[in-house]
Amino acid sequence: MEPSRSGEVNVIEVGVGGLAFGQFPSLLMTPALGSCVGVTLWDPIKQRGGMAHVMLPTTGDSQMKGEATRFAVVAVPMLVDKLVRMGSPLKRLEAKLAGGSAMFGGDITMASIGQRNVSEVKAQLARYGIRPVGEDVGGSHARTIELHLDTGVLVVRSYLYGMREL
Amino acid sequence: MMRPDQLSEMQLDTLREVGSIGAGHAATALSQLVGQKVDLAVPVLQLVPIGQVPEIFGGPETLVAAVYNRLLGDLKGSILFAAPRASSLALVDMLRNRPAGTTKSFGRGEQGLMTHVASVLASAYLASIGRLADLSLLPAPPSFALDMAAAILEAVMLQVEQRADCALLVVTRFFENESPVDMHLFFMPDPDSLEVLLGRLGMT
Repeated sequence: MEPSRSGEVNVIEVGVGGLAFGQFPSLLMTPALGSCVGVTLWDPIKQRGGMAHVMLPTTGDSQMKGEATRFAVVAVPMLVDKLVRMGSPLKRLEAKLAGGSAMFGGDITMASIGQRNVSEVKAQLARYGIRPVGEDVGGSHARTIELHLDTGVLVVRSYLYGMREL
Repeated sequence: MMRPDQLSEMQLDTLREVGSIGAGHAATALSQLVGQKVDLAVPVLQLVPIGQVPEIFGGPETLVAAVYNRLLGDLKGSILFAAPRASSLALVDMLRNRPAGTTKSFGRGEQGLMTHVASVLASAYLASIGRLADLSLLPAPPSFALDMAAAILEAVMLQVEQRADCALLVVTRFFENESPVDMHLFFMPDPDSLEVLLGRLGMT
């Protein structure tokens, strides 16, 4: 798949369980979301935003150490707080999310993680009164996402559906 | 619980040997299915820290066909059979006794064949490990996916990572010299099961 519209912009790649911020002309992207959820926040006036690659809903889902930002309960508040501190008022932030699929839908134990990730991300956003303006979640396919910081468009690419814009 | 990153050299050698024996039987089964000799590389042990996904197929977005089996019985964990798209299609051609390159896309029939082969490989692999360690090991019903490599590996590794801070992968590569078939079999026992397996082999 060809990267879309990246041209000469600086692409900031968010790793698995990671979190990053950027300002136009940068572009935030994270590849191959399966059961993980990619959540983005965008400030249209400042043309900047943040992206997190959430692996698990809550810290209770793993007794182990490692990057705390892999949990929705840590990553979402961190995204919001940092952007607010950088000078983007809460009511201006626009949230979008993608991912949360069941890669192997046939296996029961695996099927629910994606769904739980999606609902925890939404619950965390709701604590700040943020309602996602766009989402492409569920199903059983992988997604790569790119947040364009000038327009706020979230490009979702998958082998199954090609390219979609949110 | 046994920490996969604190295993001794002897224990790692034992696991490599277990992997070799399993893979040897799987390769024999595969050779019989395709009617050609299938080679295998010495299994590689990989310790993957939490939050990381091994880059095995070139890049996170590489399209791979994969079949996942959860383990049932005395050990918990996963078995994943995966191959890049072109390789999987070549395997389908081998099974249908056609020249490599004949099958161009993945339909229901191709998925069924891949799933079937993966089940046979997983059964052969588990049966030989079960015999060696005197354990009862069964694969759960298989599920198939054709998608981005990183998303597939990540989904499987999340199963282990909820209980451990790193996952131990026993990776075996199967290949066939005459055709572009290159497949990987991942055996991922979870940490408790690692202890059971090594205990049975007198290596704790």
